[in-house]
Amino acid sequence: MPSIEQPQQRQFNPYSENGGTILAIAGADFSVIAGDTRQSEGYSIQTRYAPKVFRLTDRAVLAVNGFAADGNMFVKKVRQRLEWYRHAHAKDMPLRAIARLIQTMLYARRFFPFYVYNILGGIEEDGTGAVYSFDPVGSYEREACRAAGAAQSLVQPFLDNQIYFKNQLPAPGTSHPAHLPLSTVLSLVIDSFTSATERHIEVGDGLEIYIVFSKGSTSLQGLASVRGLQEVTTTDDGERVFVIRRELKKD
Amino acid sequence: METSFAITGKGYVIVAADTTAARSIVKMKVDEDKIKTLSPHLLMAYSGEPGDTVQFAEYVERNIRLYQIRNLYPLRPSAAASWIRRSLAESLRSRKPYSVNLLVGGYDTATHTPHLYWVDYFGTMTEVPFGAHGYGSYFALSLLDRYHNPEASLEEGLATLRRAIDEVSKRLVVSPGTYKVKVVDKDGVREVEL
Amino acid sequence: MNSFAERFSTTTAASHMRNAQKLAEEDDEFDGTMWGSSAGFGSIAKGVPSFTVPAVADPTAFLRLHTDDHADPSCRIKIQHGTTTLAFRFQGGVIVAVDSRATAGSYIASGTVKKVIEINPYLLGTMAGGAADCQYWETYLGMHCRLHELRNRERISVSAASKYLSNLVYSYKGMGLSMGTMICGWDKTGPAVFYVDSDGTRLKGDLFSVGSGSTFAYGVLDQGYRWDLTDEEAQELGRRSIYAAGHRDAFSGNSCNLYHVKEDGWKFIGNYDISKLHYDGPGNVPGSDGRPYGYDIRVEGLSSTNAPEVAAAA
Repeated sequence: MPSIEQPQQRQFNPYSENGGTILAIAGADFSVIAGDTRQSEGYSIQTRYAPKVFRLTDRAVLAVNGFAADGNMFVKKVRQRLEWYRHAHAKDMPLRAIARLIQTMLYARRFFPFYVYNILGGIEEDGTGAVYSFDPVGSYEREACRAAGAAQSLVQPFLDNQIYFKNQLPAPGTSHPAHLPLSTVLSLVIDSFTSATERHIEVGDGLEIYIVFSKGSTSLQGLASVRGLQEVTTTDDGERVFVIRRELKKD
Repeated sequence: METSFAITGKGYVIVAADTTAARSIVKMKVDEDKIKTLSPHLLMAYSGEPGDTVQFAEYVERNIRLYQIRNLYPLRPSAAASWIRRSLAESLRSRKPYSVNLLVGGYDTATHTPHLYWVDYFGTMTEVPFGAHGYGSYFALSLLDRYHNPEASLEEGLATLRRAIDEVSKRLVVSPGTYKVKVVDKDGVREVEL
Repeated sequence: MNSFAERFSTTTAASHMRNAQKLAEEDDEFDGTMWGSSAGFGSIAKGVPSFTVPAVADPTAFLRLHTDDHADPSCRIKIQHGTTTLAFRFQGGVIVAVDSRATAGSYIASGTVKKVIEINPYLLGTMAGGAADCQYWETYLGMHCRLHELRNRERISVSAASKYLSNLVYSYKGMGLSMGTMICGWDKTGPAVFYVDSDGTRLKGDLFSVGSGSTFAYGVLDQGYRWDLTDEEAQELGRRSIYAAGHRDAFSGNSCNLYHVKEDGWKFIGNYDISKLHYDGPGNVPGSDGRPYGYDIRVEGLSSTNAPEVAAAA
């Protein structure tokens, strides 16, 4: 019996969602970029340690959230472009240039997006701490603080209140500080993640906090007492990068 | 909603098109000219998909002009309309067709005859004594069947057009407010106030 | 086989993309221009930036499936929608005013978005629709305006700049770009405003408003608009209109950014918190009578009761 070919249609879905949350806060001369390390799909935990925060250079750290495969691929490609830049110019790319590079790289996939929310933190050429946040197709903005990912709607309002002092009136005769000291920022980050872990099923397991200091930053003092600290700087006389690893609840 | 009319009379064609540019429920502009003068004795009213309309009209405008520059004389209305129709027909068979409806009106200086062509985005073309596009056509066509006179003077022709516009304003729920009216005759193209 | 046919076919969407981009070697993901300082926009050397397209029969449907939050609120990639922007031309130049809210579904993703894009010192673009589309293409437009200056020893007209953008987005029509923008500036012809959107529409006009809150902005703007507005009155009108939209449209709000374009280029006038405008007014700024904008504050103590004289006396 002769068979007649019927047209076939297949669903093409190359995207998944792997949970987790990232956040970044800019200080006067430092920047903090953090993310949890749980990777999940639906109700299953795939791994308890999948980093979402990556050191790009001694002055730039990138946090990626959303679809892990796209995220890892994207970080890989950004790093490749930064290496090429290093070979061509014998220096690291400035932070604002990395931000624009990320925009063009994301927008190049406008019609087949990377399903990734990026937050870039680090030190600008003028020595100030900076945070840039991106949408999946590359629109971006410099901000003082930003949370993204599964628990962004839990964390961002907390940050708005504690960092921008939204809906808070200063005590008579005083004013809100423009920039918070490192110790305060670190407490806020840790509290954000422990609280998000309590109330969101996709957040938990581990916490990685990257801190980037500008050249000769005074915020470095008192850092020695911090538990679980490790320096990951690669050069001697520039910005310095540290990482703090902590445990989060695992249920 | 977008509406355009055209009628022929004794030695002239009148072309009228509404002047609103709308996006969703908002009128973005109320004085947009949607009638292009393609050559000294040729007019084209265009309507349809936003973006496509102006792109296609400018494409036609420049090509008709190019013909005149190369040959030192303009295309006659029937030839111009045929070329325009073919452009639309070829576009329809491309991946991204232009969705544009047209009324092409011209005065043939060789035979001293006015011509009007009704063209839609499928590339359907027909020569008509009067024509219309858009929701207004549902009211105007029957009216023009009743009142159109091929031998009407320009004043009578404009009065008939006025009737059609008034009827559309009276009966159509979302009727356009203002129209631009252009006439082409032996003296060329000019805009007229109704 | 499908992907093989797709590569050499001349009628599919993918081939249309190929033509639109005029790619010389489509397989070379990285060419020489992506090295070194031309990294990023280095691809401009080839004329038009190149884009990755999924290997499916209909890339547009693919994109819509995964990004359009109107069709499917559960879809993963949310593209920012909801905005109020306005621009108008008057005797003293051009006023550009926008809100600063970005929403993803019902979540307020940001309250500090810069929806005025500073293309160069005398051209402004506004942002409505896809944030990335507006940001990217208006930046790209800025580069081409600079190239025009270098080639022609003359600033590009607002008309030409807006037409460049409109032709550019028109070449991507149907591919899913979403932008509604006003290109504003001052050139040899004086102040100019052009509306350009991703349908390919380009309109010259005196007054435009774009976005989900545009109807509310129009309501205030149309009533207060005159050509001979003073600079101060015009700035106040822009501020007042964005406030009105921020107040009535849930997808607009947070704050208003105000710009004024004059003969010597644009100037940033200020950022105004919508809630502050409601309760306290814009403060001591030119054009303002210092009174709050909020209806309930404006009518406080007023009453519509119309009791007969006798009753009132009793």
